[in-house]
Amino acid sequence: MSAGSDSFQRIDTDVLVVGGGVAGSMAAIPALEAGLKVVICEKGKVLDHCGSIGCGVDHYLTIMDSGPEWDTPEFLLKHVPELTDGIVDMAVAGRVIHEMPRIFRKIESLGVDFRDRQTGDYYRLRSFGLPGTYHINFDGTDFKKHLGERVRKGKATVLMRTMVVQLLVRDNRAYGAVAFNFRSGEWTVIRAKAVVLAAGDVNRISKNASGLAFDSWHIPYNTGDAQAMGYHAGAQLANMESVEATLTPKGFSCQGLNALVSLGAHFVNKAGERFMFKYDKKGENARRAVIADGVINEYLLGNGPIYLDCRHLPQDMLDRMEHTLQVDRYTLPAYYQQKGVNFREELVEVSVSELSIRRSGVYFRGSGLSVDVNGETAVEALFAAGDCATVSGGISGAAVLGHIAGEGVVQRIRAGGGALPEPDPRMLEQVRAQSEAHLRQDEGMPWKDYEETTRQTVSDYVGVRRDERGLKLALDTLRALALRDPQLRADDLHGLMRVHEARNIRMNAEMMATASLARQETRTGSSHFRMDYPQTDDRNWRKFVIVERGSDGPVTRTLSTDQPLSAAFSRGNAAVAA
Amino acid sequence: MGTNSRNVFNPIRINPETCVKCNLCDWICPGDLIYKEEDNRETLPVIKYPDECWYCGLCQSICPTQAITVVFPEQMVHNKTDVVSLLGKVAG
Repeated sequence: MSAGSDSFQRIDTDVLVVGGGVAGSMAAIPALEAGLKVVICEKGKVLDHCGSIGCGVDHYLTIMDSGPEWDTPEFLLKHVPELTDGIVDMAVAGRVIHEMPRIFRKIESLGVDFRDRQTGDYYRLRSFGLPGTYHINFDGTDFKKHLGERVRKGKATVLMRTMVVQLLVRDNRAYGAVAFNFRSGEWTVIRAKAVVLAAGDVNRISKNASGLAFDSWHIPYNTGDAQAMGYHAGAQLANMESVEATLTPKGFSCQGLNALVSLGAHFVNKAGERFMFKYDKKGENARRAVIADGVINEYLLGNGPIYLDCRHLPQDMLDRMEHTLQVDRYTLPAYYQQKGVNFREELVEVSVSELSIRRSGVYFRGSGLSVDVNGETAVEALFAAGDCATVSGGISGAAVLGHIAGEGVVQRIRAGGGALPEPDPRMLEQVRAQSEAHLRQDEGMPWKDYEETTRQTVSDYVGVRRDERGLKLALDTLRALALRDPQLRADDLHGLMRVHEARNIRMNAEMMATASLARQETRTGSSHFRMDYPQTDDRNWRKFVIVERGSDGPVTRTLSTDQPLSAAFSRGNAAVAA
Repeated sequence: MGTNSRNVFNPIRINPETCVKCNLCDWICPGDLIYKEEDNRETLPVIKYPDECWYCGLCQSICPTQAITVVFPEQMVHNKTDVVSLLGKVAG
């Protein structure tokens, strides 16, 4: 099975992008425009769908500079501290928000039509507590196809069904990665002058109503690969203590419900009470985190089941809802049909989804790899964008930070960096041998059992309610699980890919539990709710919790939010000149 | 531990009469679950890892002859889980 390093396929390129979703594609575009060679590694097989939700897009957050004060970067930026409960990198969020109009126009120039088909105008809605109608509601079925086409036209090399398992780093500078194709079994060493991590959020990390591990709100094939690899490579992560849950029709963890809420649906409890105003004066227009928190509280108070109520809405609004339902999740109408529920006339029972590590229901505060204003992490020439980075904002956040990172890559490469190092052949051989050993663990631990332990542990002790005792218990379990990593069993190449995913999920869970233990306060409701520190403590905790690799696992330190996260980076010349 | 022993539910039905064995479902599946022998117009696609399905329906949406139907299992359609049990052991 094993072979020498000469059995690796070798690719030398300018830029390696890990993940072909919105952030990865948008990072590739400016690099291609600058004439750089780009390789994209993607676990899926197409560039035509969004990485996070696998389908199209039904809303896009942007500033358009259309005239009114609210539609300017300055106005939105002013509200970012309250939107993020004070935990935000204002430098990076500021860059993202200022770039929004430019990137929006650029996406339009790629062929995406954001206008309403009937009126020919932009249909803009206020949602998730934002201080203006920043969300364009549109039929974005082909949104990602246009981005993918641009990447293909730029002649990027796309390696499909390919999983990156380790980054190549020397002297705190990234220079490529090792990957394998889980259809062919072929291993590749990709050397690159810069690497962009854009592999999305962390899913399959806790339990949900259906009990099916792959029934998740966001795509279950996003497993924190970027965060885990970045951690091992020496990058820093922040906000890993903040988890995100959403609300879903009970039994199917799908997106689409939030779109209904932004179009005017209500939540009611078992007594028929519309309760959301108890939790926020904006009611159902509150931030996603607040909406989820409200429902979690109602369930814990014994007021469940909770229902979604659309019955008061006018027919034209219900028609619009019905039409947009399937843009985000193609199968949702079929689900309602099989269930025999008509949301126009009946209440729909709602569940709290499984958790994910993404942006904790808050725009402009991501949980993941810390980046500077160019999208570069604490490791030189290693960039991150989208849901795996610390400034995240849905599709538009991924698009804008992705493009910023792509431009950052161009600057970094033009600033020079010498010849690409030659990776140590023994190290390459070891990476491959350790991986392929999972294929021979006939008596080993099935990755599904390993993952199930992670999920149960997170649900019980690192979920929507936490305390010191539970978090320590969880860390003990997660660390004990890590000792079994070498014994994980893969039945085939596909299973080998899942083994790597399962390990990455566990690694992220350990980072989450470690950061949660460090933050001795509660912030953003159920995103980080410490039963032993139930109050928000602005005096002591207007701070980021930064996670990085220590000699014996993840360690934390804090940094005042008066500073950008890049202030904690040890690489010299924190950012290349813009 | 785990749910491996349970009979695995097949998330999609492929109509063998209308399937044209074209490979598109294999190509589009984001989870690498559907395997279709390439360049063989005789064999049907196989759902090799049914319990890893995300129920996204991309296979159904791309199928040129509507030969694929996504079918949801009972625990998704008529779910009996107590939501409070998902909210952790610390809450109580």
